[in-house]
Amino acid sequence: MRSWWRVLGVLAVMGALSLGAWAAKLVVIGPWSGDEAKPFEAVLAAFTDKTGIEVEYRVMRSEDLGKVLPAQFSAGMAPGDVIFTAWGWWVKKFADHMVDLGPQVADVPFGFLTPIVVEGRTVGIPYAVWVKPGFWYRKSFFDAHDLRAPSSWEDFLALLARIEAVPGIEKAAASGDEVGWPLSDTVEHFILAYGGVNMFLGLTEGTIKWTSPAVRAVFADHIIPYLQYASEPIEWTSAKDLWWQGKYGIYFMGNWLTGMVEDPADLGVFALPGAKAVTGGTDYIFVPKYTKNVADAAKLVEFLMSKEGQEIRAAGGGKLAIRTDISPEAYPPAERALIQALQGFVIVPDMDDTIGGEWQAAFWDQLKLLWVKPDALDDVLRVLDEKYPKG
Amino acid sequence: MRSTPRAEAKGTREGRPRRGLPLLFARARKGEGPAALGFLSLGLLLIALFVIYPSVRTLWLSLFDKEGFAGVSNFIDLFRDREIVDFGRFLSREPPWGALLHNLVWTVIHLPLTVGLGLVLAVVFSKVKSWWVGLARGAIYLGIVTPLIVGGVIIRFLFEKHAGLVPQVLGALGAGAPWSAGWTAYPETALLALVIGSVWLWTGFSMVLHSAGLSTIDRELYEAAQIDGASEWAQFRHITLPLLRPVTLVVAAMTFLWELKIFDIVYVATMGGPGGASNVLALEMYFSAFRELDPYRASAIATLITLFSLPVGYWFARRRLGR
Repeated sequence: MRSWWRVLGVLAVMGALSLGAWAAKLVVIGPWSGDEAKPFEAVLAAFTDKTGIEVEYRVMRSEDLGKVLPAQFSAGMAPGDVIFTAWGWWVKKFADHMVDLGPQVADVPFGFLTPIVVEGRTVGIPYAVWVKPGFWYRKSFFDAHDLRAPSSWEDFLALLARIEAVPGIEKAAASGDEVGWPLSDTVEHFILAYGGVNMFLGLTEGTIKWTSPAVRAVFADHIIPYLQYASEPIEWTSAKDLWWQGKYGIYFMGNWLTGMVEDPADLGVFALPGAKAVTGGTDYIFVPKYTKNVADAAKLVEFLMSKEGQEIRAAGGGKLAIRTDISPEAYPPAERALIQALQGFVIVPDMDDTIGGEWQAAFWDQLKLLWVKPDALDDVLRVLDEKYPKG
Repeated sequence: MRSTPRAEAKGTREGRPRRGLPLLFARARKGEGPAALGFLSLGLLLIALFVIYPSVRTLWLSLFDKEGFAGVSNFIDLFRDREIVDFGRFLSREPPWGALLHNLVWTVIHLPLTVGLGLVLAVVFSKVKSWWVGLARGAIYLGIVTPLIVGGVIIRFLFEKHAGLVPQVLGALGAGAPWSAGWTAYPETALLALVIGSVWLWTGFSMVLHSAGLSTIDRELYEAAQIDGASEWAQFRHITLPLLRPVTLVVAAMTFLWELKIFDIVYVATMGGPGGASNVLALEMYFSAFRELDPYRASAIATLITLFSLPVGYWFARRRLGR
């Protein structure tokens, strides 16, 4: 009988301890997993060392959060204390359910991406920046075949033709696929290069129609000719492997690619000739109103946005710091080279992440169609106009 | 409790037999009903909370829009929407034909294939005694125990240009694009890839139910037919097929309902693309609810799916009530 009491006593102590640990632990939800998550986990570890507050990191993509959170918010609940999403439009839509983080970022020097403010409340904080600088290539591949980054549109087409003539190459350019976002990144880059920043911003704001002659011309004169040399959409990590193995010569992707290849020193990148701007984006931090650890969550946000926190993140590579006061020396060599390459470029917010909603899904899906059916161009542009958010 | 002719006779008025709910109330007078209702109450409460209330609420929401009460205009809009029905393109051009027509095409191809294949495989496996039968049965049954999300990933890779078995084999046989390319990337083949993949995922269900049905057929019927000189085909046609009919009908009904609500594999394998070429009603409902953030349109689509499934549900209910 006594032994039973002992067992019960041990269980009670363990229960109390685990309950205490659970109560004190901050739950952070972000989209990164595997190697991509390691630099962020290093920041969380530094926060725990500094404050003694335990943090548990869980992985959920924006798409998954978009399904779960509306119902949870309605019930006055949230699955995490600090949450990251790439969807700024979504944060605006559900701003009523989020904590004002204005005081935590009052002194942060933001660059081209600024916090989301709704009715005077700062609800979404841009964290680390990713940019889509252009087409990546392996320096060793270009050297072996005497290829050079292009300096004009004609050069670019000639480069594509020369790559395609290399034995073993299936297509000059690999096209990544997932739900369609790698294709939208590519198209946005073409619009910036051959339509200009004003066209890009006009399309984002809905003041320019997709079916307008100028926009159609960007597709007809540049994107469609490029598609002759581009692969059909392939799952983007598989496409990355095939490109790295030499089945394709160039690959359009964001700068997180530097953390996904065996030898980042072998990476080269070029923007389309004529481009003066590239797209960039971020993952927004928000704290749901329903968390029981608002004070600790705010502390974590403050640390993530501090110079110290941003420098730790920058050192991990794959993303650029949102703060403008982070020195290039804080980055690994690949990011330093990228920062150098981006000198003179304007960075504009990613179009589909800004518009969001049903239009974003339609944009991805229609581009998947365009990639294999270039003659469907007019249908694609018509759908993009039809799907643009009304009002 | 199985009702005997005597019990049914007791539950009649003026000679008319009582079955189903009337029979339950008839028994209530005998004192059995309250106990039965007691046992049923927890289940009924849960059904009321988690099935009936959400269904009624969904139906109610489908009659509204952002402005207020909208009557049936959400439903009229759905049938005018090219994403739901596009008769202009149907069969004259490659998909997209609209989510509803994609569900219809899915049903027309998938239903006879899974029901027929399941029946044939069940009969073959009951006749053949060999080492590979168990292996083949297991491989087919694997489809039904595979989570549909995983099934979607398998379909995606099965039809992928580089990793996929199907395009590789067709390419080796000399077929061109899109047959030798990634099926899920092309509008002509995306829906077909999903339908073919889902045949594997669902045939196991049909096979298992038909196998169970076969085991209930009296062997003496076959022995008598053999003595009379009936061929294998004649035995199949005149004994197996008619006696399996109730099972086949249940399999067909369940398969139809599965096809109406198909979502997971489309979401994972193609996300309804390219260009909406493999979109289905359940995915369109998801897009409306969670991307467009429009609960009214989503509710209208959910109600539409329910309306399509009602005849089958009604038929099932009648069967369960013995009518």
